[in-house]
Amino acid sequence: MEKLLLRNVDAPDLHTLAGYRSRGGYRAIEKVLREMTPEKLIDEIKASGLRGRGGAGFPTGMKWGFVPKDNPKPKYVVCNADESEPGTFKDRLLIEKDPHAIVEGTMIAAYAIRSHTAFIYIRGEMVYGANMLQGAIDEAAAAGYLGTNILGSGYDLDVILHRGAGAYICGEETGLLSSLEGGKGWPKVKPPFPATHGLFGCPTVVNNVETLAALPWIIDNGAARYAAIGTEKSKGTKLFSVSGHIKKPGVYEVDMGYPFKKFLEEDCGGVPNGRKLKGVIPGGASMPVLRAEELDGITMDYESFQAAGTLLGSGGVIVMDETTCMVRAAWNISRFFAHESCGQCSPCREGCHWMEKILNRIEHGAGRAGDLEMILSVSGNIGGNTICPFGDAASWPPAAFIKKYRSEFDEHIAAGRCTIHQKAA
Amino acid sequence: MTAVKFSDESLKAFQEIVGRYPHKNAAMLPVLYLAQKEFGYISAEVMEYVAEIMGVPVARVYGVVTFYTMFNMKPIGRHHIQVCRTLPCALAGSERITAAIKAKLHIGVGETTADGRFTLSEVECLASCGTAPMMQVNDDYYENLTDKNVGEILDRLK
Amino acid sequence: MDPVKITVDGREIVTAKGKTVIQAAAEAGIDIPHYCYHEKLTIAGNCRMCLVEIEKMPKLQIACNTQATEGMSVKTQSPKVLEARRAVMEFLLINHPLDCPICDQAGECWLQDYYMKHDLTPSRFDERKEHERKREIFGPYVVFDGERCIKCTRCVRFLQEVTHTDELTVVNRGDHSTIALFPGQTLDNALSVNVVDICPVGALTDRDFRFKVRVWYLKKTPSVCPGCSTGCNISVETYQNRIARFKPRVNEAVNSHWLCDEGRYVFHSLTEGERLTSPMIRQEGGLVAVDWDTALQAVASGLAANGPTAAVLSGRNTNEEAYLFGRMMKKLSPGAALEVFYRERELTEVEKVLMSPDRSPNFRGARSMGVGSAAGVEPLLKKIIEGGFHSSYIVGEDLASLPDRGENLKSALAKLSFLVVQDTRMTPTAALAHVVLPSTHFGEKNGTYTNRRGRVQKLNAAIVPPAGALQDWQIFSRLLGENYAGPEEIFLAAAREVSAYDGLNYEKIGTLGAMIEAQKQ
Repeated sequence: MEKLLLRNVDAPDLHTLAGYRSRGGYRAIEKVLREMTPEKLIDEIKASGLRGRGGAGFPTGMKWGFVPKDNPKPKYVVCNADESEPGTFKDRLLIEKDPHAIVEGTMIAAYAIRSHTAFIYIRGEMVYGANMLQGAIDEAAAAGYLGTNILGSGYDLDVILHRGAGAYICGEETGLLSSLEGGKGWPKVKPPFPATHGLFGCPTVVNNVETLAALPWIIDNGAARYAAIGTEKSKGTKLFSVSGHIKKPGVYEVDMGYPFKKFLEEDCGGVPNGRKLKGVIPGGASMPVLRAEELDGITMDYESFQAAGTLLGSGGVIVMDETTCMVRAAWNISRFFAHESCGQCSPCREGCHWMEKILNRIEHGAGRAGDLEMILSVSGNIGGNTICPFGDAASWPPAAFIKKYRSEFDEHIAAGRCTIHQKAA
Repeated sequence: MTAVKFSDESLKAFQEIVGRYPHKNAAMLPVLYLAQKEFGYISAEVMEYVAEIMGVPVARVYGVVTFYTMFNMKPIGRHHIQVCRTLPCALAGSERITAAIKAKLHIGVGETTADGRFTLSEVECLASCGTAPMMQVNDDYYENLTDKNVGEILDRLK
Repeated sequence: MDPVKITVDGREIVTAKGKTVIQAAAEAGIDIPHYCYHEKLTIAGNCRMCLVEIEKMPKLQIACNTQATEGMSVKTQSPKVLEARRAVMEFLLINHPLDCPICDQAGECWLQDYYMKHDLTPSRFDERKEHERKREIFGPYVVFDGERCIKCTRCVRFLQEVTHTDELTVVNRGDHSTIALFPGQTLDNALSVNVVDICPVGALTDRDFRFKVRVWYLKKTPSVCPGCSTGCNISVETYQNRIARFKPRVNEAVNSHWLCDEGRYVFHSLTEGERLTSPMIRQEGGLVAVDWDTALQAVASGLAANGPTAAVLSGRNTNEEAYLFGRMMKKLSPGAALEVFYRERELTEVEKVLMSPDRSPNFRGARSMGVGSAAGVEPLLKKIIEGGFHSSYIVGEDLASLPDRGENLKSALAKLSFLVVQDTRMTPTAALAHVVLPSTHFGEKNGTYTNRRGRVQKLNAAIVPPAGALQDWQIFSRLLGENYAGPEEIFLAAAREVSAYDGLNYEKIGTLGAMIEAQKQ
């Protein structure tokens, strides 16, 4: 498999300007500034087939194209470095090891939409990562890659690092913008959309760290080469974060379309301690869990996961072996969403906690007949009725766990306790 | 006029922060971090002061401070232990780590040791799932924890 | 207008470009249920109650934030929509306290109303409800209940966007979200109680009205606030012949949806206290009750013998009363000096949103009817104090109690040869009179006020005066020797004489008023 994003990640000096440049860094932005108009750049990225790597998978070139060129307001690019989806830690790797790639990618995106001010919004907890990024920004600025008249091109750009303060919802596009504007991380009602009314009411593009970090390679090597990797609808490579009951946890760069079961068993070493695989969440805790038996034939790309009734999402692969109590796992995730709900809209604010309360009760032995139907009903009432996709994300896991492991839930309720022999924690 | 005030050095930092953004309001979070660093925690008086220098209603500051987990409205211990409890860490045994810390420090979750050295919290996913279980103490991540090495780590934190 | 045609539940509706689906539907009389939407506030989109089905859109959309576009087809009663509504109702009710029996909002609560109209499914929630602060005093007039609150943020947005005072915010997140004041602050701006009006549930309630009477017992009469010359449109709500509260009525030309706190509670000072129920004449030893004929005889002869009279009409008397008063004084005391009581004061920025700098709701109307001039009442009061009159006729104003001139006026009035006081209560001024005439207050009157901007608006009697009192217009007409069937006839007579009111009648004035012609006035 090709390594594009992680090709240099083991180099100990990659995070320095010298180390980054010695490996071909900042050639892409030079090429963009010298040879490409923003329109040509957008076309190139469209042709590459790059899709947003934060979780939504929206075609990046198309997103850039939505920004109105003739709008007199300033345009903004925001790098979404608020990685908080449980099971996901691939942005952190790039932030800590390859911050210049993120800076360069941000610059490329900014040029595409004629932005002169870009922000990198990093979650507050990642202090080390923030220091790495600020260091890269400072080095780039000192070397003339940021500021006014970059490389004599006449193009100006400032990149400002901005730290969040602890809220998963700030990873949602408009929640991030509300937070960056100095408020609570409350997602905004849409329409209007960020492309026309984003940060401070101005046209804005929000891109994930991994999406931006992929841009330099695409520019250096051409859209066609990127599009040659992967499947028809999922081009290029994707970083998958693998955790849980797996021999070799970590971040893997995978060609889109790679067989999922093979990935887990061979590349990741399979389940340790001689245990059997029970289930896998493929795309971060929001995404419906897959039973071990369902993995045959699934390939690691957007289409295949969707056809299997789940989603690729952030690519946060959480592996669970036979010792895992699925009731407890479902409760754990529902507790996460209850904790992180911003509280603005009624279905999410009330529904997430309702589901958590029921799952809490079941897990601790006080489950009742009708509880599972209730969770499924509440889940269905949240999804599709909220201001932002958090509601959907919160509604999927409890429903999926119950649907896929129904008998285990039934037994747990009937017995008043977990019936899996060795509990996970 | 409020009782608390930034030091001259912090005021300079405040001006620099505000100067980064096209709109002053956007400086709210970094200014709150600055205030938390200077005053230890964000009390009602600190909120009034921030509202004054930011030129916003104090109710707005209040809403922001209460929304985010990283702003403390009460004093906490010198070392804020934040153990991740979300699924991947839970699968790796985060509950044993929390139990070990509680046993060692004799405090519960949300509590502070009598000598003001440690506060224990449980937090959600810190994007360190591959090196679970783990915890954050103040600015630093401590990964691949075991019930044994967590005690050693805490001993080193004065 | 740039017309846009949409279909709502099969009905074709034409609306203006820029309107949202909820607005277009409302124009056509289709009420889409909602909580957080308010036509004078920014869109929050958080209650999700107004979700509707729109053709070609896979997900339900909130009607409050969806622009009506040409050819759009909207369904507000489809099974998907009804299910979503029940779902939202259920979510709003799971942590809602079972407070109805003790909650003032009962009977005008949107949760109750929508439950009856759009839900009627039993509660499925069988967990522990979240608890929040109850009975928290937010300010002198507003009390908060955090458990009843549905976090629609109407109150927060009102205080940000209308009064610009920003007292309230939402704190915390998730289902610990709640409305709060910054510790130590109070909600006491001049328009604070409007948040009670706009709160759809019993989370914000009126301390003055607390536990007084169930709203379904209230009789509601449209009228005009007697507080100042803005003339906010109100609903006077009464029970057992007593005023229980004022609520604002919507009139975009005057007060929009709002009412100031001072006006809202002004009925207390204007209507409470023991009422005068008989005319009185001063004899040896004090005031004694007499019949009307005797009293009015005494008035006529007293004025004739002690003219010219200083005549002061209250700013709260109607146009009809002013018209008769002016003509009556000219007849009974040629050369009388007539003024309507009017005093200006400073207003704060918040007060200026709605209030006028006076406490004389009909000063402009009275002057237009021939009582008073731009010179105002101050020179007249000064002359009274200086002893420039031998007699005075004072209607509805307790001049002896004025904060600055009261003492001087009291001694001057006491020295008059003849003083007539027409009022509702035995005020210190009335106690000085030679003749006391019992009359009515604004809540008992039918008539009109002309507000500061020249809008004639109708007062409607909400309660019945005590036996023994007469309407001011009845007293004046008897003194004048003219017969009228009622205020409407008086208004028509005045309109014939005062050109600014030419062509107006009660029907044209209606419930929202009509402008007089300023040039002619």
